[in-house]
Order: sequence, then C-alpha cells, then structure tokens
Amino acid sequence: MNFAFTDEQLAFGAAVRDVLRDACPPAALRTERRPGWRRLAGLGLFAALLPPERDGLGLGLTDVLPALEEIGRACLPGPVAETAVTAPLLPEAAAGEVCVSVLAPGQAYAADADLADLLVVLGEDEARLVSGEAARLDPRPGIDPCRPLFAVAYDTSEPLEAPAAPVLHRLAVAGAAQLVGVARELLARSVAYARVRTQFGAPIGTFQAVKHRLADVAVAVEFAAPLVWRAALALDAGAPAAGRDASAAKAAAGEAAALAARSALQVHGAVGYTDELDLRFWLARAWSLGAAYGTSAVHRERVRSALLGGDARRWP
Amino acid sequence: MDLDFSPAERDFRAEVRDWLSANVPDPPLPSMDTAEGFQAHRAWEARLAAARLSVVSWPEEYGGRGASLIDWLIFEEEYWAAGAPARVTQNGIFLLAPCLMRFGTPEQRARWLPRMASGADVWAQAWSEPEAGSDLAALTSRAEPAPGGGWLLHGHKTWSSRAAHATHGFGLFRTSGARHQGLTYVMFPLDEVAVRPIAQLDGLPGFAELHLDGVRVEESMVLGEAGQGWSIAMATTSSERGLTLRSPGRFLATADRLLALARASGDPAAADRAARCWTEAEAYRLHTYATARRIMAGEETGAAASLGKIFWSELDLRMHALALELLGERAGETPWLDGFLFALAGPIYAGTNEIQRTIVAERVLGLPR
Ligand SMILES: Cc1cc2nc3c(=O)[nH]c(=O)nc-3n(C[C@H](O)[C@H](O)[C@H](O)COP(=O)(O)OP(=O)(O)OC[C@H]3O[C@@H](n4cnc5c(N)ncnc54)[C@H](O)[C@@H]3O)c2cc1C
Repeated sequence: MNFAFTDEQLAFGAAVRDVLRDACPPAALRTERRPGWRRLAGLGLFAALLPPERDGLGLGLTDVLPALEEIGRACLPGPVAETAVTAPLLPEAAAGEVCVSVLAPGQAYAADADLADLLVVLGEDEARLVSGEAARLDPRPGIDPCRPLFAVAYDTSEPLEAPAAPVLHRLAVAGAAQLVGVARELLARSVAYARVRTQFGAPIGTFQAVKHRLADVAVAVEFAAPLVWRAALALDAGAPAAGRDASAAKAAAGEAAALAARSALQVHGAVGYTDELDLRFWLARAWSLGAAYGTSAVHRERVRSALLGGDARRWP
Repeated sequence: MDLDFSPAERDFRAEVRDWLSANVPDPPLPSMDTAEGFQAHRAWEARLAAARLSVVSWPEEYGGRGASLIDWLIFEEEYWAAGAPARVTQNGIFLLAPCLMRFGTPEQRARWLPRMASGADVWAQAWSEPEAGSDLAALTSRAEPAPGGGWLLHGHKTWSSRAAHATHGFGLFRTSGARHQGLTYVMFPLDEVAVRPIAQLDGLPGFAELHLDGVRVEESMVLGEAGQGWSIAMATTSSERGLTLRSPGRFLATADRLLALARASGDPAAADRAARCWTEAEAYRLHTYATARRIMAGEETGAAASLGKIFWSELDLRMHALALELLGERAGETPWLDGFLFALAGPIYAGTNEIQRTIVAERVLGLPR
C-alpha cells in the first residue's frame, strides 16, 4: 500500500499548474472562455483517459487527480474536465480536437454548452450523443460567470455504447477533485488577506475568531481529499462500492468548498462582496461545481442508501 | 497511489483476527477504573504480550514484532472491531515509550520497555497541575538535586489518568526558572506519592491528583538531560494528538455499531447522520494511511497532527451523541453511555481543541501570533 501520489502523478499536476499560471491568471477569468485549452491538449490532458490503441495515454482517473485539483485552484473556465472524462466514450479519438459539454441526469442545464462540438446526454442507464449543430441552446441565469448554463433541446441524437453510470461517477469525482482545489485556493486567499488586513491596530489574522474559523476550513479540506483519492482508486479498479465512494467524495468535497467559500467571504468582509475582487470567481466556482453532477445532498442520500442497504465495505 | 495490502499484511490481519476471536474476553472486562477491573486489564495485557500482540510495532527485543505502522493500523482495526478491552497501558505505550525509544539510554529502554509491554508496570502521565492546564509551561512542581545524587520531587499534579491504580508516573518538573528551558522530564514510582483518586463523570476514579513531597528518584529516572524536558514532551504531544493515541480502528468500530443502531431505528434523519459519521471515520482511516506512509518515508508531520486531533475528537463525540439520542433512556443499559462520557473528554485532553485550532492557524496555515 502506498496511499500517496506517485512522482509521475505529481509531475502531471505540476505541468498543468505551470500552464495555468501562465495561461489563466485571474485577469483571464474576466475575458476568456477557454484559456490554455490548446496547451492542456498538448500535455495530453484530453487524451489521458483514452486507451493507448486510440492514441491515448491510458491513464486512470487517479493519475489525473493532482491535475484536476490544479484546474480547481486556477478556477479554470471551460469544460476541460468534462471533455477529458467523456473522451473514452466518444466514437472518434477526442484528444482535444473536440470540446464536450455534459447534460447529467436530474440536472436541468448543461454548462458551457455553447462552446461544445458534442453534447453527452446521460440518463440513469444510457448515454446519448448530440452534435453541437443539432442542439438548440437557451441561456439560463447561473451563479458562476465562468461556467454559463444552457437549457438544451434537440431532435436527433445517437446512442452511445458505454453504460452511463461509470461516466457519471467519474464526473462526480472529477468535480470533487476540482472542489478540493477550489477550497485550497479559497483558504490560501483568506490566509493571505488575514495577514495583511489590519483592524484595531493588528492584522485580523491575530484574532482567535478568525484563526479558528480558518482552522476549521483546513480540517474540512484535509479530510475530504483522501475520500476523493479513494473514490478514484475504486473507479479505476472497478470496485463494487465505487459508486458509493464517488458520492462520499463529491459530498465531502462540496461541503468543504462551501465552508471555505463561506469563511473566505466572512474573512474578506465587504471587499469580498464586490464584483471587483477576484475572490468572487472562486466563491462562484465552489457553489456552481458543488451543484453540478449531483448536489452534496443528493450524494449524501446515495451514500446513506448504500450503507443502510448493507454496503458498508471497506477497502479492500 | 494504491490501497492494496501485501500478502504479508493480509496474513498478519488474519492472524490477529483469529487470535482475537479466540481470546477476547466475553463478557467484557469490568471498567479499568475499578480495582478489580484494573487487575483484569493487566492480566489481559499480559495475555496480549504472551502472543506478542501488545506492542506490535516495537522492536523484538522489547516484546514487539518490529511491525510497520501499516501493520500496526491493521492490528488496531482488528482489535477494536473485535470489541477487545481498552488498553490500560496506553499512556505508557503511546506517550512515554516513544520518548524512551528516542531519548532514553539503552539501560532505560531495557529496564522499562519490556515491563510496560507486559503490563507489569502501568504508567500515568503527570503533566497537568491545578494552575497549569493549557498553559503547561506555567507548571511549578520542582525537582531539586538530592544530596548524594538523584533528585527530590516536590509539587502537585492533577488529572492524571489511571494514576489511582497505576504503578509509575512520568512528568515535567521545574529545575530552573527559565519558562521552557527550565523543565526536566522525570519518571517516578507512585508508591511514595500521595495519590488522591478523583471520580470522573461516570463516578469512577479515572484520574487522580498527586502530591509529591520530596519523593526521591535516582539520576537514571531523568529522561534526556535536565532542562530538555519541554522539547522531549513536545515530541510526545504530537504522538498523543496524532495517530498513535487515537488510531482509526476505534472510530471505525464505533461507526459500524452506530450504523447498525441507526438502521434498526428506521429514522431516516438519524440514518443520514450515521452515514455521514461512517464516511468521516473512513476519511480519518484513509488520511491516517497517507500519514503513516509519510512517516515511514521519514517525513515529519509536526503540527499537522493537530488537524487530526480536532477531527477525531469531534467525530467521536458526534457519534456517541447520536447513539444516545437514538437510545434515549435505554442508553445506560448499553456501553454507549460510558463511550459518550469518554468522548466528551476528547476535545479537552491532549491539548484542548481551542488550543489545537490556534496551532493549526499559526503553524500549519501561517497566520500571525
Ligand atoms: C479525561 C481526561 C484525562 C486526562 N488525563 C490526563 C493525564 O493523564 N495527565 C495529565 O497530565 N493531564 C490529563 N488531563 C488534563 C488535560 O491535559 C487538561 O485538561 C488540558 O490540558 C486542559 O487544561 P485545563 O483542564 O486546565 O483547562 P484550561 O486550560 O483551564 O482551559 C479551560 C478552557 O479555556 C480554554 N482556553 C484556555 N486557554 C486558551 C487559549 N489560549 N485560547 C483559547 N482558549 C483557551 C480551553 O480550551 C478550555 O476550553 C486529562 C483531562 C481529561 C478531561
């Protein structure tokens, strides 16, 4: 057992971080819809989960967790995770040439659908493919400026061979990994601000109420992350409890990010409540990703049903 | 990254499981905070030791198996799942022993560790004083050089777990005026100490206060050098807060029992909370495996242990509080009530959770003092 990322996994994450630092500075969040897309494709991010016989890297979800966390940390706009995760389903090799948006079951809207060449429509059992031209989109109001939502209508679609459930679980875990990154960034920004913002003649970070609030965020993130790792391992191994583990990961990461967002806003005070401060992008990402691919409440309910139904298996 | 146990680890798990299923006392032992229960627990420790299962991660020469931290975690999972007795020797094994291994002389290790492993000696931690709780460095108990060598111990210690029945104590004593550098780590036999048992919320003498009035100890009872006590003690606190005192095994077993209770209740809201606790116990387990790997790779985990201390203590309390809610007035007929009373202490001992949050904020996150 070695429950830690390998050097390769960390290196892949670091390569993504380097690209994003350059291609997706906070200013890009106000102007760009798909910053860094080509360079991420060049790193192999979109081919990562494809098998080698389809020119993919043949990696598992676990291998790209650090990269997904970096995507959350950067608040990267665009359906990057969606495209990477659905690539193995698509008939032609995806490898960054196409851009994919996903409509998940129980979800009314598809994010970034206007950018998508292909739309994957997931039901509880089956998956269908809708081409970008065939989709009629109606923009809907959402909370995240970097993740616009669309109602989707279409007349023609093709069935996909793969079952829908594992894809949904992967999307939930990919969302959870990004949420961990969002939470870490919110915490880092809160700590940085608390060190410099002065009131009553002292940095606000010297006050115990502020310290303890941020310590609680650190605890929540610290103990959500290993659930995300475990869920990815379970999915890669096709473990019987993988669906339950994916739900546990998504719920815990969503709640940790929500706590990080709530605390970040409180620590920043009124300036945090402005459109001018970049913090708003991470707040919105915590909320929008928290609601995507099953809310925390939906996933908590799934964990509960699985456990009460007798699936209290531990690994291995 | 993987979570797969090796064949040797699986074999070890099977061996421990088999031994426990043949040996765990049924009915359970009486509380170790009664005179009768204390003796029964010591006998249990001796039985564990005879099977070389009392200190699996220690070197063989002291009664262990030289097992890895992962093996130790496996042992703990099996131990608590089997409903085996709480460890009366835990303060010695988990708090004093790591310091003896790291700072003790070969003679000190050879003299004390095997007796601790077999339950022949039961050690009490004597750090807190009436005026020095969270502010431990404010302690005033003194060690004075004795004529002809050794030390004379004076002072008043309190809240010392198991001291009502234990054989020895270890604690910090002031040897000079410097707040931190003036402290010395001393071991002492309890037979010359005036021990006043203190009943806890369950009515049993779970801890005690100690009055030391010139208790004489040999030079060899000092751990490390005089004046080094604080830094040695700090090495202990991170094992106390971190994984060695509270392995995940205990919380996994509690979470499993809680899930069964919630299932039987048929109350969906309770089931929801129980499922959340189960998941959190899993999160603590997974986190601990990751931490164990880091320690085995030679990394220092340091202040990060405080994150875990906050997490496990609050989880434990949440689990027991939910069980009590589900059981109502029947709780007293079950072990859940005692478990609840013990869980209430988790956020207080080993450094209160307020102190831990401050440590996390300052030393993990880097907020200003
Ligand atoms: C079951 C149990 C077993 C124990 N076993 C042992 C043992 O074996 N050996 C031993 O030596 N001791 C033992 N203790 C004592 C334990 O270590 C102390 O209780 C602990 O260090 C807290 O000290 P205190 O009780 O004096 O509380 P205090 O320090 O008086 O604190 C009271 C309250 O004030 C808060 N507070 C204090 N200072 C601060 C601060 N700076 N910032 C924010 N809040 C603060 C605390 O968090 C707490 O909520 C045990 C305690 C319990 C409950």
